[in-house]
Amino acid sequence: MALSRNAKTGLILASIAAAWFFGLIIKYWVMGR
Amino acid sequence: MSAVVDTHAHGHGHDDHHGGYGGIMRWITTTNHKDIGTMYLWFSFIMFMVGGVMALVIRAELFSPGLQIVDPDFFNQMTTMHGLIMVFGAIMPAFVGFANWLIPMQIGAPDMAFARMNNWSFWILPFAGALLIISFFTPGGAPGVGWTLYAPLTVQMGVGMDLTIFAVHLLGMSSIMGSINIVTTILNLRAPGMTLMRMPLFCWTWLITGYLLIAVMPVLAGAVTMTLTDRHFGTSFFNAAGGGDPVLYQHIFWFFGHPEVYIIALPAFGVVSQVIPAFSRKPLFGYASMVYATSAIAILSFIVWAHHMYTVGMPVTGQLFFMYATTLIAVPTGVKVFNWVATMWKGSLTFETPMLFACGFLFLFTLGGFTGLVLSLVPIDIQLHDTYYVVAHFHYVMVAGALFAAFAGVYFWLPKWTGKMYDEKLGQIHFWLTMIFFNVTFFVQHFAGLAGMPRRIPDYPLMFETWNKISSIGAFGFGLSQLLFLYVVLKCIRSGAKAPEKPWEGADSLEWTHLPTPVPYHTFDPQPDLR
Repeated sequence: MALSRNAKTGLILASIAAAWFFGLIIKYWVMGR
Repeated sequence: MSAVVDTHAHGHGHDDHHGGYGGIMRWITTTNHKDIGTMYLWFSFIMFMVGGVMALVIRAELFSPGLQIVDPDFFNQMTTMHGLIMVFGAIMPAFVGFANWLIPMQIGAPDMAFARMNNWSFWILPFAGALLIISFFTPGGAPGVGWTLYAPLTVQMGVGMDLTIFAVHLLGMSSIMGSINIVTTILNLRAPGMTLMRMPLFCWTWLITGYLLIAVMPVLAGAVTMTLTDRHFGTSFFNAAGGGDPVLYQHIFWFFGHPEVYIIALPAFGVVSQVIPAFSRKPLFGYASMVYATSAIAILSFIVWAHHMYTVGMPVTGQLFFMYATTLIAVPTGVKVFNWVATMWKGSLTFETPMLFACGFLFLFTLGGFTGLVLSLVPIDIQLHDTYYVVAHFHYVMVAGALFAAFAGVYFWLPKWTGKMYDEKLGQIHFWLTMIFFNVTFFVQHFAGLAGMPRRIPDYPLMFETWNKISSIGAFGFGLSQLLFLYVVLKCIRSGAKAPEKPWEGADSLEWTHLPTPVPYHTFDPQPDLR
């Protein structure tokens, strides 16, 4: 299914937000301080 | 603000049709950006009142030294919830309300890019607000940790803390979805010919704010999630008892917290950048430099966070870096203030209520910026950290900055939204009461802070009594003045005189030049060709 231009933009932005959220927790959980 | 023209009942064309539902179901199921903008604005006003009552409890207790009205635990809960509700429940939703109302109209779009998600973004908010309020009724009450939710206090609080963490999660989800919607709308739905550099500055400030929100709200969500796992799942991110580091929480929080200041301030800059040219009857001076200055402020906001925590014991090189980076922000901010003043220079100025609030913003926000510069200097900040000087500083930024701009925006666009004029005389009285009582409340707090009065205390030595008495009197005057604002808005909606098509002759963005007053329920379908 082809994604609309809006859906593509929205997904890119949502993945940036998800990367910040999970990246932060993983950094301090897995890699320690 | 809820009086968008609705001629559905009279069988007019589809432009005025609001779908199959009426009454409350219209508002629950709406995907119309104007309806959702209206709901955001009313929600934010209700939260402003709730947070305002909490502020009055704080000021009533501080009217005299000693403990009179509330116990210290409850006082701490008041300061915490006042901050959380005002930042996340009042100011942020207010500007999202403006964004919903104005961005599609200003760029020539029919609606927001994700209309259903827009509905969801709003309807999360009342549940988050309810969680914050319910936390007062849990064993131990609401958290009394300050709006910054610092560890290790957060690890020790009762179940109210968990509700607050969930509320922050919900508020964060709402903000992230809202900003994804705004950024996508601006990038993809502009009318043909509406290039980025032709957009009104309000849209530019929100585009940049949207990126800021997407970058930092997940950081706050991560921080409170880690607090939650420290509380219930045996981790020790911030709990020193298990080898964690409470200062790590402060770093993560302020990595979110300082951009958050600009998340609030930038849309306020956008509103003022619409109002000042309209009442100066001149185009905005230095449009391109305003865009670049806004971007520069946003970028710099990511590298200054530790100026909130000079006293935790960081190396001098760290202090110097954050001090220089913070003072650097004065440059793009100065560009903006210069441009606003230059816009007014030799303009054909009139001072209706929106312009009065914009000028009040300009004067008081600049004052707040100057005290921010004072606090950015390490040797001074170490003296003033956690004193009432800081309280005075951020209220000049948050209230005189964001709230004054919001008032300017409401008075400016009320005729466009409702098709009716507000009472100009009452609006001006509202401005002067707000201006006077704001300064009575907060200007004296600089002196209390310089004399050494700590923040977040219910009791204080006798030497601070005079400043506190004046501040408390001002706070009650300020609070009562806002009831006049509610009256002016309700009077406008119910019985305001019919607004002319273009009540502000200097206004030149699309909602004024391409749409009737009041705006129809559906606009810009098809989109206008602006090439």
